[in-house]
Amino acid sequence: MASNAAVPFWRAAGMTYITYSNICANLVRNCLKEPYKTEALTREKVHFSISKWTDGKPEKPTIRSDSPED
Amino acid sequence: MVIVPATTGQMGVLPGHVATIAELKPGVLSVHEGNETTKYFVSSGFVFIHANSFADIIAVEAVPLDQIDANLVQKGLVEFTQKLSSATTDLEKAEAQIGIDVHSALNSALTG
Repeated sequence: MASNAAVPFWRAAGMTYITYSNICANLVRNCLKEPYKTEALTREKVHFSISKWTDGKPEKPTIRSDSPED
Repeated sequence: MVIVPATTGQMGVLPGHVATIAELKPGVLSVHEGNETTKYFVSSGFVFIHANSFADIIAVEAVPLDQIDANLVQKGLVEFTQKLSSATTDLEKAEAQIGIDVHSALNSALTG
């Protein structure tokens, strides 16, 4: 059964939807007027902690904190 | 009535619309209530139209049009058009093309 839509160009280049959507959102945020722009940049911040598990036990967690400039 | 920017084109949604899930492209979402229209720019996302005449819009960013700065949009359009011509890898070309698509959509939202 043939698909009824061509593959989007970003997927053909190896990008996932979530990456595409986040890039679009960042571009829109960068085109906002102040003060909306500074509020939007706070929405881009992420802060999370990761720990790898081996042999059923977690190793020491690392904290990752991204700034909006990526 | 709501008009959503689906990837397949502008889609009008009225009460009683068949249940649908549609992917959105960067564009203007307009909500028409009586004689009033409220417009938002959505960066991308989905619209879920349920059988009970409820619709959900899922978007990472949805901003009222008056929050958009026209100068930044023009600058961005020029910057990404330039990036597309100097892009080498597929990924760079895709990123530049996304930049062009989003900024052109922002531009037509402001001028349309």
